[in-house]
Amino acid sequence: MTPGRGARRLLAAHTGLVYLFLYAPIAILMVFSFNAARQTAFWEGFTFDWYRRLLDDGLLLHALRNSLEVAGVTTAAAVLLGTPAALALARPAFRGKRATQTLLYLPVIIPEVVLGAALVTFFGAIHWQLSIATVVIAHVVFSVSYVALVVRARLAGIDPALEEAARDLGAGPFETFRRVTLPLALPGIVASALLVFTLSIDDYVITSFVAGVGATTLPLHIYSMLKVGVTPEVNAVSTLLLAVTIVLIAAAHRLLQEKEN
Amino acid sequence: MKKIAILMTLALLAVACGGGKGSKPSGKVVNIYIWTNYLPQEVVDEFERRTGIHANVDTFDSNEAVLAKLQSGVAGYDVAVPSDYMLKILIPQGLVQPLDHGRLPHLKNLDPRFLNQKYDPGNGHSVPYLWGTTGIGYDQKKIQPPVDSWAALFEPRHAGRILMLDDQREAFGAALRLMGKSVNEKDPAILRQAAERLKKQKPLVRTYNSSDFANLLAAGDVDLSQGYNGELAEAVAKSSGRLAYVIPKEGGTLWIDNLAIPKGARNLDAAYAFLDFVMLPEIAARIVNHVHYACANRAALPLIDAKIKADPSIYPPQEILKRCELIEDLGETTQLLDQLWTEVKAQ
Amino acid sequence: MSAPRRRSSSLLLPTWLVLGVFFLVPLLLMLGISFAQRGVYGGLKPIADLAGYLRSGDFLANYARSFDGIFLKIAWRSLWMAVATTGLCIVVSFPIAYYLALLAPQRWKGLLLGLVVIPFWTSFLIRTYAWMFILRTEGLLNLVLVGSGLLHHPVELLYTQTAVMIGLVYGELPFMILPLYASLEKLDRSLLEAGSDLGAGRVETFRRVTFPLTLPGLAAGIVLVFIPSLGQFVVSDLLGGARSMLLGNLIQNQFAVARNQPFGSALAFELTAIVLLLLLGYAALARRRGGEDLL
Repeated sequence: MTPGRGARRLLAAHTGLVYLFLYAPIAILMVFSFNAARQTAFWEGFTFDWYRRLLDDGLLLHALRNSLEVAGVTTAAAVLLGTPAALALARPAFRGKRATQTLLYLPVIIPEVVLGAALVTFFGAIHWQLSIATVVIAHVVFSVSYVALVVRARLAGIDPALEEAARDLGAGPFETFRRVTLPLALPGIVASALLVFTLSIDDYVITSFVAGVGATTLPLHIYSMLKVGVTPEVNAVSTLLLAVTIVLIAAAHRLLQEKEN
Repeated sequence: MKKIAILMTLALLAVACGGGKGSKPSGKVVNIYIWTNYLPQEVVDEFERRTGIHANVDTFDSNEAVLAKLQSGVAGYDVAVPSDYMLKILIPQGLVQPLDHGRLPHLKNLDPRFLNQKYDPGNGHSVPYLWGTTGIGYDQKKIQPPVDSWAALFEPRHAGRILMLDDQREAFGAALRLMGKSVNEKDPAILRQAAERLKKQKPLVRTYNSSDFANLLAAGDVDLSQGYNGELAEAVAKSSGRLAYVIPKEGGTLWIDNLAIPKGARNLDAAYAFLDFVMLPEIAARIVNHVHYACANRAALPLIDAKIKADPSIYPPQEILKRCELIEDLGETTQLLDQLWTEVKAQ
Repeated sequence: MSAPRRRSSSLLLPTWLVLGVFFLVPLLLMLGISFAQRGVYGGLKPIADLAGYLRSGDFLANYARSFDGIFLKIAWRSLWMAVATTGLCIVVSFPIAYYLALLAPQRWKGLLLGLVVIPFWTSFLIRTYAWMFILRTEGLLNLVLVGSGLLHHPVELLYTQTAVMIGLVYGELPFMILPLYASLEKLDRSLLEAGSDLGAGRVETFRRVTFPLTLPGLAAGIVLVFIPSLGQFVVSDLLGGARSMLLGNLIQNQFAVARNQPFGSALAFELTAIVLLLLLGYAALARRRGGEDLL
């Protein structure tokens, strides 16, 4: 029983419209980043001016550098914390497994506003000055869970017989990990790293609470650009950020698919 | 795909590390917290060129935001720019430091009329920066007859074409003046009445915005905008007679913004360097010419654009200034006002 | 037997440390603050008599205040916005998820799916900005409508509830499409055939076979869309013109300009409580149906 031809065409058309809805705004943003007009959407000529201005915009490049630094450190920390956690969770039940699972789910579940507010209150209470470090800490808090859960899902798909075989052949636990578990888990680790990197680069809400002066990240900078008045420079910066994100995600997607086959 | 991702990341890193004027780590830094549209980038760059101190500038659009940041104690700013009444709150709470006038040789450039105000006697904790008025900017072609009263912002026939500042003292100020009261009214009953007016006005307001109002008026998103004189005057000048700025007959607010050093500022020398730098005549004049707000610097006057000096919106005549009120701290009533404003916004 | 257990704890220690200090402690701290009162200008009001304060029930003042008409209205507005967003997302997502899972040509599936995943991960802020750009008075939509002569005056969509709705649906759509797709993908076609073999028409087969089998995906999608919609504040801030305050805006506002951390904290916990309740409900449902993991 499949829908008749009429219904099929309707569904295909609807699907096309949804894709249009999803991508038209993004495409419009990108196209108009080349528009010479400053205030209006009226097309006044093609130009790379806004991109050129981005290169001259010290504040923006500083924000970009901050975003990359934060994302880099966050990803590294999240992977270093989350991968062992995933390994532990992949094991059969042990005392505290339930608690750990709950702990790891919570940062993902709790609304970002709540997490941001809690962190800024905490830093204020212990007189820890807001800075780029506080941003990193905040990002790590929500990133560890993603790594742990994605890698655990990946590990769940690995045949336990492989690890057993390695042990039967005389490999110690660390060697088993290094030669069997890690290579098999690697696609999951790398994919979750790419995802966490992307989430960190794009984060606005939590960062807005905990960023110190001079720690402005790209989304924060974009937000303040939006507040003071929309110019095509915002389009240019958005286009670049979108392009990078798309490439990173496509890479992660490919990676996960490749290793499936 | 993977290779492209790696290449892109490397390219980004290269650009970010190598490029950008704001990326020289000379070790000396000053962290500034100032109103939006209040400090031209060229002045910041000039400061860096002359002193080698890198300036991080964060912006805010309401005094309450300054209070919140300084109260948290962990914001890390070396220079903040609160308005008059906010200083009156910050000083007793010890949130700003006493100033050593010996380290501010160019203080003598300032106009004595702006010094030694009630909110900071002897300028023990601040020096005046820029001052201005709050009034109404509007589209003369679309709004007839000419606006002369705060009532215009409350009129149903302008529904959806009004912009109000996202600022509790200014919003309440407009309502209170319309009711014939002072903007510094402390009577809870009257404040609640003003709150009711604002709540009734809300459906007519298109948006509350303290940093983009001039652009929104110029772009035609709204036809009437409560706003600060400098940005509106700039929009008026560029509009070839379409826009106008007026201080309503009931009176508007007059405010003086001041440079202060928060308690616990880590870069004291840099902070003083910046404060003094901004009081240089040519720098003050550059700031005024760029942001279109009047400054408290007497020595800078000859260097300011003639058109700006002649603009009655920016340098108002005495009889208009007489209509304006300085905002003052409400003391304990602040809490009630915070609450009422939350209610208005929550509507 | 003790070796694996030791190993587990050493593997988990760093994570517990980091999350314990920087996640659990802040939340507990915020919980404590939600029982305090704000000082005149902000900060916390010192409590002279702790025992008396607790006994009198004053410590619940913030929670009591959150049930005031004005704030209930905000909660209500946030709730119905989240419901409306979720509903619209379901209506828009179901057909496309169905098409992708069951009707799309096999060779295009990967690409089509990838195209849905991508917006899923791009910056919410930028995708919201895109709508600011389109809906402004001098934006693209008005340019097209007025320029082509369809309208005489620009339509004012920016800074309205409608704009917020559009922004929310746009942002959350991929979160509904993907779980629905996952569910439909796993559908056993033979079940559908069995339905028609037994004489059911197309609509009836959909109603009695297809739809019930997609409920796990639907439930997951609802959770993924409803909960973030409930707590969000960026869309209502940028597209709503600081006019329609939702829960997220209110909380952010209390921690920033309004300087009332105690009240903000109470609101934050109430929001968290609602979210946790919903999720527990979902988990119970999922367990009954045979467990389909959220992630």
